[in-house]
Amino acid sequence: MTTRDIVLVALFAAIMVVLGLLPPITLGFIPVPITAQSLGPMLAGCILGARRGSAAMLLVLLLVAIGLPVLSGGRGGLAIFAGPTAGYIIGWVVGAFVCGLIAERLVREDQSELSQFISFLVASVIGGIGIVYLFGMPWLAYMSGKAFFETAAASLVFLPGDLIKAFVAMLAARAVLAGYPLLPQRA
Amino acid sequence: MLNGLDIEGNSPLHRMPVRGKLILLFTAAILLLLISDLRILVPALALTALLYLSTGIGLKEAFRRTRFVLFTVLLVALANYLFHSVHEALVVFCRLSALVLLAAAVTATTGISAFMDEITRLITPLERFGFVRAADVSLAVGLVIRFVPEIFARYGEIADAHRARGLRVRPLTMLVPLIILTLKDADTIAMAIDARGFRRH
Repeated sequence: MTTRDIVLVALFAAIMVVLGLLPPITLGFIPVPITAQSLGPMLAGCILGARRGSAAMLLVLLLVAIGLPVLSGGRGGLAIFAGPTAGYIIGWVVGAFVCGLIAERLVREDQSELSQFISFLVASVIGGIGIVYLFGMPWLAYMSGKAFFETAAASLVFLPGDLIKAFVAMLAARAVLAGYPLLPQRA
Repeated sequence: MLNGLDIEGNSPLHRMPVRGKLILLFTAAILLLLISDLRILVPALALTALLYLSTGIGLKEAFRRTRFVLFTVLLVALANYLFHSVHEALVVFCRLSALVLLAAAVTATTGISAFMDEITRLITPLERFGFVRAADVSLAVGLVIRFVPEIFARYGEIADAHRARGLRVRPLTMLVPLIILTLKDADTIAMAIDARGFRRH
Protein backbone atom coordinates (compact mmCIF):
# COMPACT_ATOMS: atom_id res chain seq x y z
CA MET A 1 0.00 0.00 0.00
CA THR A 2 1.22 3.49 -0.79
CA THR A 3 1.09 6.33 1.72
CA ARG A 4 -2.00 7.62 -0.07
CA ASP A 5 -3.74 4.27 0.37
CA ILE A 6 -2.97 4.26 4.10
CA VAL A 7 -4.32 7.80 4.41
CA LEU A 8 -7.49 6.87 2.49
CA VAL A 9 -8.01 3.85 4.75
CA ALA A 10 -7.53 5.97 7.88
CA LEU A 11 -9.80 8.76 6.64
CA PHE A 12 -12.52 6.28 5.78
CA ALA A 13 -12.25 4.68 9.21
CA ALA A 14 -12.50 8.17 10.70
CA ILE A 15 -15.67 8.85 8.65
CA MET A 16 -17.12 5.65 10.09
CA VAL A 17 -16.30 6.78 13.61
CA VAL A 18 -18.04 10.11 12.92
CA LEU A 19 -21.10 8.28 11.56
CA GLY A 20 -21.23 6.44 14.89
CA LEU A 21 -21.29 9.74 16.79
CA LEU A 22 -24.44 10.89 15.02
CA PRO A 23 -27.87 10.02 16.41
CA PRO A 24 -29.52 7.03 14.70
CA ILE A 25 -32.05 7.71 11.96
CA THR A 26 -35.53 6.33 12.44
CA LEU A 27 -37.55 5.53 9.35
CA GLY A 28 -41.31 5.52 9.66
CA PHE A 29 -42.04 2.05 8.41
CA ILE A 30 -39.52 -0.12 10.23
CA PRO A 31 -39.23 -0.24 14.02
CA VAL A 32 -35.45 -0.61 14.32
CA PRO A 33 -33.46 2.66 14.13
CA ILE A 34 -30.82 2.70 11.42
CA THR A 35 -27.32 3.68 12.47
CA ALA A 36 -25.46 5.25 9.60
CA GLN A 37 -22.39 3.39 10.81
CA SER A 38 -23.64 0.02 9.60
CA LEU A 39 -23.47 1.39 6.06
CA GLY A 40 -19.70 1.23 6.59
CA PRO A 41 -18.82 -2.15 5.07
CA MET A 42 -20.90 -1.51 1.93
CA LEU A 43 -19.56 2.00 1.44
CA ALA A 44 -15.97 0.97 2.18
CA GLY A 45 -16.08 -1.80 -0.41
CA CYS A 46 -17.92 0.21 -3.07
CA ILE A 47 -15.81 3.35 -2.70
CA LEU A 48 -12.33 2.15 -1.77
CA GLY A 49 -12.37 -1.33 -3.33
CA ALA A 50 -11.58 -4.71 -1.79
CA ARG A 51 -8.17 -4.24 -0.18
CA ARG A 52 -8.45 -0.68 1.07
CA GLY A 53 -12.10 -1.17 2.06
CA SER A 54 -11.45 -4.23 4.21
CA ALA A 55 -8.36 -2.53 5.67
CA ALA A 56 -10.56 0.39 6.75
CA MET A 57 -12.97 -1.98 8.48
CA LEU A 58 -10.08 -3.84 10.12
CA LEU A 59 -8.78 -0.51 11.39
CA VAL A 60 -12.16 0.28 12.96
CA LEU A 61 -12.17 -3.13 14.68
CA LEU A 62 -8.64 -2.45 15.95
CA LEU A 63 -9.81 0.85 17.44
CA VAL A 64 -12.70 -0.97 19.12
CA ALA A 65 -10.36 -3.64 20.50
CA ILE A 66 -7.83 -1.25 22.01
CA GLY A 67 -10.67 0.41 23.93
CA LEU A 68 -11.88 3.43 21.97
CA PRO A 69 -15.66 3.97 22.07
CA VAL A 70 -15.98 4.24 18.30
CA LEU A 71 -19.09 2.13 17.62
CA SER A 72 -22.48 3.83 17.51
CA GLY A 73 -23.83 4.73 20.94
CA GLY A 74 -20.31 5.09 22.33
CA ARG A 75 -19.74 1.34 22.44
CA GLY A 76 -16.26 -0.09 22.36
CA GLY A 77 -13.74 -2.28 24.11
CA LEU A 78 -13.19 -6.01 24.10
CA ALA A 79 -16.70 -6.66 25.46
CA ILE A 80 -18.00 -6.12 21.90
CA PHE A 81 -16.03 -9.17 20.75
CA ALA A 82 -17.29 -11.25 23.68
CA GLY A 83 -20.99 -10.63 23.03
CA PRO A 84 -23.33 -12.81 20.97
CA THR A 85 -23.40 -10.37 18.03
CA ALA A 86 -19.62 -10.19 17.55
CA GLY A 87 -19.84 -12.25 14.36
CA TYR A 88 -21.59 -9.44 12.51
CA ILE A 89 -18.81 -7.01 13.40
CA ILE A 90 -16.14 -9.51 12.28
CA GLY A 91 -18.18 -9.98 9.11
CA TRP A 92 -17.70 -6.28 8.28
CA VAL A 93 -14.09 -6.95 7.23
CA VAL A 94 -14.83 -9.83 4.88
CA GLY A 95 -18.07 -8.17 3.78
CA ALA A 96 -16.22 -5.03 2.71
CA PHE A 97 -13.65 -7.17 0.88
CA VAL A 98 -16.24 -9.13 -1.08
CA CYS A 99 -18.28 -5.99 -1.74
CA GLY A 100 -15.16 -4.31 -3.10
CA LEU A 101 -14.19 -7.33 -5.17
CA ILE A 102 -17.60 -7.38 -6.88
CA ALA A 103 -17.67 -3.61 -7.37
CA GLU A 104 -14.16 -3.65 -8.87
CA ARG A 105 -15.18 -6.33 -11.38
CA LEU A 106 -18.59 -4.93 -12.34
CA VAL A 107 -18.34 -1.15 -12.19
CA ARG A 108 -16.61 0.79 -14.95
CA GLU A 109 -16.58 4.54 -15.41
CA ASP A 110 -17.77 4.38 -19.03
CA GLN A 111 -20.89 2.37 -18.13
CA SER A 112 -24.37 3.80 -18.19
CA GLU A 113 -25.68 5.20 -14.94
CA LEU A 114 -28.21 2.40 -14.55
CA SER A 115 -25.69 -0.42 -14.86
CA GLN A 116 -23.47 1.32 -12.31
CA PHE A 117 -26.41 1.52 -9.92
CA ILE A 118 -27.23 -2.16 -10.40
CA SER A 119 -23.59 -3.20 -9.97
CA PHE A 120 -23.25 -1.26 -6.71
CA LEU A 121 -26.52 -2.72 -5.43
CA VAL A 122 -25.39 -6.28 -6.23
CA ALA A 123 -22.05 -5.64 -4.50
CA SER A 124 -23.73 -4.12 -1.42
CA VAL A 125 -26.31 -6.88 -1.07
CA ILE A 126 -23.86 -9.77 -1.52
CA GLY A 127 -20.93 -8.29 0.41
CA GLY A 128 -22.62 -5.99 2.88
CA ILE A 129 -25.56 -8.23 3.74
CA GLY A 130 -24.87 -11.80 2.56
CA ILE A 131 -21.31 -12.09 3.82
CA VAL A 132 -21.95 -10.13 7.03
CA TYR A 133 -24.87 -12.44 7.88
CA LEU A 134 -22.76 -15.45 6.90
CA PHE A 135 -20.40 -14.55 9.74
CA GLY A 136 -22.96 -13.11 12.13
CA MET A 137 -25.60 -15.82 12.17
CA PRO A 138 -23.46 -18.92 12.87
CA TRP A 139 -21.67 -17.05 15.67
CA LEU A 140 -24.96 -15.96 17.17
CA ALA A 141 -26.28 -19.50 16.83
CA TYR A 142 -23.20 -20.95 18.52
CA MET A 143 -23.37 -18.47 21.39
CA SER A 144 -27.11 -19.11 21.85
CA GLY A 145 -26.67 -22.67 23.05
CA LYS A 146 -29.77 -24.78 22.52
CA ALA A 147 -31.93 -22.02 21.05
CA PHE A 148 -29.53 -21.63 18.12
CA PHE A 149 -32.11 -21.98 15.40
CA GLU A 150 -34.61 -19.56 16.94
CA THR A 151 -32.15 -16.73 17.59
CA ALA A 152 -30.56 -17.05 14.16
CA ALA A 153 -33.99 -16.90 12.55
CA ALA A 154 -35.01 -13.96 14.74
CA SER A 155 -31.99 -11.98 13.57
CA LEU A 156 -33.59 -11.90 10.12
CA VAL A 157 -35.85 -9.06 11.33
CA PHE A 158 -32.95 -6.76 10.48
CA LEU A 159 -33.03 -7.81 6.83
CA PRO A 160 -35.53 -5.13 5.61
CA GLY A 161 -33.47 -2.37 7.27
CA ASP A 162 -30.30 -3.77 5.75
CA LEU A 163 -31.85 -3.81 2.28
CA ILE A 164 -32.66 -0.11 2.67
CA LYS A 165 -29.04 0.44 3.70
CA ALA A 166 -27.84 -1.37 0.59
CA PHE A 167 -29.98 0.99 -1.45
CA VAL A 168 -28.56 4.07 0.31
CA ALA A 169 -25.02 2.67 -0.15
CA MET A 170 -25.73 2.18 -3.86
CA LEU A 171 -26.83 5.82 -4.31
CA ALA A 172 -23.92 7.17 -2.26
CA ALA A 173 -21.29 4.97 -3.95
CA ARG A 174 -22.41 5.98 -7.42
CA ALA A 175 -22.42 9.68 -6.43
CA VAL A 176 -18.89 9.39 -5.02
CA LEU A 177 -17.75 7.55 -8.17
CA ALA A 178 -19.04 10.46 -10.24
CA GLY A 179 -17.53 13.10 -7.95
CA TYR A 180 -14.21 11.60 -6.90
CA PRO A 181 -13.54 8.16 -8.43
CA LEU A 182 -11.26 6.00 -6.30
CA LEU A 183 -12.54 2.53 -7.19
CA PRO A 184 -10.86 2.28 -10.63
CA GLN A 185 -7.36 2.76 -9.17
CA ARG A 186 -7.05 -0.34 -7.09
CA ALA A 187 -4.66 -0.63 -4.19
CA MET B 1 -13.24 13.75 21.39
CA LEU B 2 -11.93 10.21 21.35
CA ASN B 3 -11.04 9.19 24.87
CA GLY B 4 -10.15 5.64 25.78
CA LEU B 5 -12.30 3.47 28.01
CA ASP B 6 -9.50 2.80 30.48
CA ILE B 7 -9.81 3.87 34.10
CA GLU B 8 -6.88 5.09 36.22
CA GLY B 9 -6.13 2.75 39.06
CA ASN B 10 -3.77 0.32 40.69
CA SER B 11 -5.80 -2.87 40.99
CA PRO B 12 -4.17 -6.29 40.35
CA LEU B 13 -5.65 -6.24 36.84
CA HIS B 14 -4.09 -2.81 36.20
CA ARG B 15 -0.66 -4.13 37.14
CA MET B 16 -0.89 -7.24 34.97
CA PRO B 17 0.93 -7.08 31.62
CA VAL B 18 -1.31 -6.60 28.57
CA ARG B 19 -0.35 -9.91 27.02
CA GLY B 20 -1.16 -11.72 30.25
CA LYS B 21 -4.61 -10.15 30.33
CA LEU B 22 -5.30 -11.13 26.73
CA ILE B 23 -4.20 -14.71 27.36
CA LEU B 24 -6.39 -14.78 30.49
CA LEU B 25 -9.38 -13.52 28.52
CA PHE B 26 -8.82 -15.98 25.70
CA THR B 27 -8.44 -18.95 28.05
CA ALA B 28 -11.50 -17.90 30.03
CA ALA B 29 -13.52 -17.62 26.81
CA ILE B 30 -12.64 -21.16 25.74
CA LEU B 31 -13.31 -22.61 29.20
CA LEU B 32 -16.63 -20.77 29.57
CA LEU B 33 -17.83 -22.04 26.20
CA LEU B 34 -16.92 -25.63 27.11
CA ILE B 35 -18.48 -25.64 30.59
CA SER B 36 -22.24 -25.87 30.95
CA ASP B 37 -22.44 -26.71 34.66
CA LEU B 38 -24.27 -24.02 36.61
CA ARG B 39 -22.29 -24.88 39.76
CA ILE B 40 -19.22 -23.46 38.00
CA LEU B 41 -20.88 -20.81 35.82
CA VAL B 42 -22.69 -18.93 38.60
CA PRO B 43 -19.52 -18.45 40.70
CA ALA B 44 -17.68 -17.54 37.50
CA LEU B 45 -20.18 -14.77 36.80
CA ALA B 46 -19.93 -13.50 40.38
CA LEU B 47 -16.14 -13.55 40.16
CA THR B 48 -15.98 -11.60 36.89
CA ALA B 49 -18.51 -9.06 38.19
CA LEU B 50 -16.33 -8.55 41.28
CA LEU B 51 -13.23 -8.30 39.11
CA TYR B 52 -14.90 -5.70 36.89
CA LEU B 53 -16.01 -3.61 39.87
CA SER B 54 -12.58 -3.97 41.52
CA THR B 55 -11.15 -1.84 38.70
CA GLY B 56 -12.70 1.15 40.47
CA ILE B 57 -15.12 1.89 37.64
CA GLY B 58 -18.22 2.52 39.75
CA LEU B 59 -21.54 0.72 39.38
CA LYS B 60 -23.23 3.29 37.14
CA GLU B 61 -20.45 3.60 34.59
CA ALA B 62 -19.89 -0.18 34.66
CA PHE B 63 -23.52 -0.72 33.69
CA ARG B 64 -23.58 2.09 31.12
CA ARG B 65 -20.70 0.50 29.22
CA THR B 66 -21.96 -3.03 29.12
CA ARG B 67 -25.70 -2.51 28.90
CA PHE B 68 -25.95 -2.92 25.13
CA VAL B 69 -24.02 -6.19 24.99
CA LEU B 70 -25.77 -7.44 28.14
CA PHE B 71 -29.08 -6.62 26.49
CA THR B 72 -28.25 -8.90 23.55
CA VAL B 73 -27.16 -11.57 26.04
CA LEU B 74 -30.52 -11.21 27.77
CA LEU B 75 -32.37 -11.62 24.46
CA VAL B 76 -30.45 -14.80 23.71
CA ALA B 77 -31.19 -16.11 27.22
CA LEU B 78 -34.86 -15.23 26.76
CA ALA B 79 -34.98 -17.23 23.53
CA ASN B 80 -33.54 -20.21 25.39
CA TYR B 81 -36.13 -19.81 28.14
CA LEU B 82 -39.04 -19.57 25.68
CA PHE B 83 -38.03 -22.45 23.43
CA HIS B 84 -36.14 -24.71 25.83
CA SER B 85 -35.81 -24.49 29.61
CA VAL B 86 -34.96 -22.21 32.50
CA HIS B 87 -31.77 -24.21 33.00
CA GLU B 88 -30.56 -23.56 29.45
CA ALA B 89 -31.41 -19.87 29.78
CA LEU B 90 -29.40 -19.57 33.00
CA VAL B 91 -26.42 -21.41 31.50
CA VAL B 92 -26.31 -19.12 28.48
CA PHE B 93 -26.88 -16.00 30.57
CA CYS B 94 -24.15 -16.76 33.12
CA ARG B 95 -21.66 -17.91 30.50
CA LEU B 96 -22.01 -14.92 28.17
CA SER B 97 -22.35 -12.28 30.90
CA ALA B 98 -19.21 -13.56 32.62
CA LEU B 99 -17.34 -13.34 29.33
CA VAL B 100 -18.61 -9.83 28.58
CA LEU B 101 -17.76 -8.54 32.08
CA LEU B 102 -14.26 -10.03 31.95
CA ALA B 103 -13.64 -8.44 28.56
CA ALA B 104 -14.94 -5.11 29.85
CA ALA B 105 -12.63 -5.43 32.87
CA VAL B 106 -9.61 -5.94 30.59
CA THR B 107 -10.58 -2.88 28.55
CA ALA B 108 -11.10 -0.78 31.68
CA THR B 109 -7.61 -1.60 32.96
CA THR B 110 -5.62 -1.28 29.74
CA GLY B 111 -4.55 2.11 28.37
CA ILE B 112 -4.77 2.82 24.64
CA SER B 113 -1.02 3.25 24.19
CA ALA B 114 -0.14 0.14 26.22
CA PHE B 115 -2.58 -1.88 24.12
CA MET B 116 -1.25 -0.37 20.89
CA ASP B 117 2.33 -1.24 21.91
CA GLU B 118 1.27 -4.84 22.48
CA ILE B 119 -0.51 -4.94 19.09
CA THR B 120 2.63 -3.60 17.43
CA ARG B 121 4.70 -6.32 19.10
CA LEU B 122 2.21 -8.97 18.03
CA ILE B 123 2.14 -7.96 14.36
CA THR B 124 5.87 -7.31 13.96
CA PRO B 125 6.54 -11.02 13.18
CA LEU B 126 4.01 -10.74 10.32
CA GLU B 127 6.19 -8.12 8.61
CA ARG B 128 8.41 -10.91 7.32
CA PHE B 129 5.57 -12.20 5.14
CA GLY B 130 4.93 -8.74 3.74
CA PHE B 131 1.27 -8.57 4.86
CA VAL B 132 1.49 -5.48 6.96
CA ARG B 133 3.99 -3.10 8.49
CA ALA B 134 3.57 -2.41 12.18
CA ALA B 135 4.61 1.22 11.75
CA ASP B 136 1.86 1.70 9.13
CA VAL B 137 -0.77 0.38 11.53
CA SER B 138 0.30 2.83 14.24
CA LEU B 139 0.33 5.62 11.66
CA ALA B 140 -3.21 4.76 10.56
CA VAL B 141 -4.50 4.64 14.16
CA GLY B 142 -2.87 8.02 14.83
CA LEU B 143 -4.44 9.48 11.68
CA VAL B 144 -7.93 8.37 12.68
CA ILE B 145 -7.64 9.89 16.16
CA ARG B 146 -6.27 13.09 14.60
CA PHE B 147 -8.97 13.47 11.95
CA VAL B 148 -12.19 12.44 13.74
CA PRO B 149 -12.78 15.91 15.30
CA GLU B 150 -12.10 17.56 11.94
CA ILE B 151 -14.53 15.32 10.05
CA PHE B 152 -17.12 15.81 12.78
CA ALA B 153 -16.78 19.59 12.40
CA ARG B 154 -17.12 19.19 8.64
CA TYR B 155 -20.36 17.28 9.17
CA GLY B 156 -21.65 20.28 11.13
CA GLU B 157 -20.63 22.63 8.31
CA ILE B 158 -22.44 20.56 5.68
CA ALA B 159 -25.55 20.48 7.89
CA ASP B 160 -25.34 24.29 8.22
CA ALA B 161 -25.00 24.61 4.45
CA HIS B 162 -28.19 22.57 4.11
CA ARG B 163 -30.06 24.81 6.53
CA ALA B 164 -28.79 27.99 4.89
CA ARG B 165 -30.33 26.78 1.63
CA GLY B 166 -33.56 25.69 3.26
CA LEU B 167 -32.88 22.00 2.58
CA ARG B 168 -33.74 19.20 4.95
CA VAL B 169 -30.72 17.45 6.45
CA ARG B 170 -31.06 14.00 4.89
CA PRO B 171 -28.63 11.10 5.28
CA LEU B 172 -27.84 10.75 1.60
CA THR B 173 -27.25 14.42 0.83
CA MET B 174 -24.98 14.58 3.91
CA LEU B 175 -23.06 11.38 3.28
CA VAL B 176 -21.86 12.09 -0.25
CA PRO B 177 -20.30 15.55 0.31
CA LEU B 178 -18.83 14.34 3.61
CA ILE B 179 -17.10 11.38 1.95
CA ILE B 180 -15.91 13.29 -1.13
CA LEU B 181 -14.60 16.30 0.80
CA THR B 182 -12.83 14.09 3.33
CA LEU B 183 -11.22 11.67 0.89
CA LYS B 184 -10.07 14.54 -1.33
CA ASP B 185 -7.72 15.57 1.48
CA ALA B 186 -5.88 12.24 1.15
CA ASP B 187 -3.43 13.54 -1.47
CA THR B 188 -2.20 16.49 0.56
CA ILE B 189 -2.02 14.46 3.79
CA ALA B 190 -0.07 11.70 2.02
CA MET B 191 2.29 14.28 0.52
CA ALA B 192 2.84 15.85 3.94
CA ILE B 193 3.64 12.44 5.45
CA ASP B 194 6.07 11.56 2.65
CA ALA B 195 7.71 14.98 2.73
CA ARG B 196 8.55 14.43 6.40
CA GLY B 197 9.94 10.99 5.65
CA PHE B 198 7.73 9.12 8.12
CA ARG B 199 7.64 5.98 6.01
CA ARG B 200 11.33 5.53 5.22
CA HIS B 201 12.16 2.05 4.05
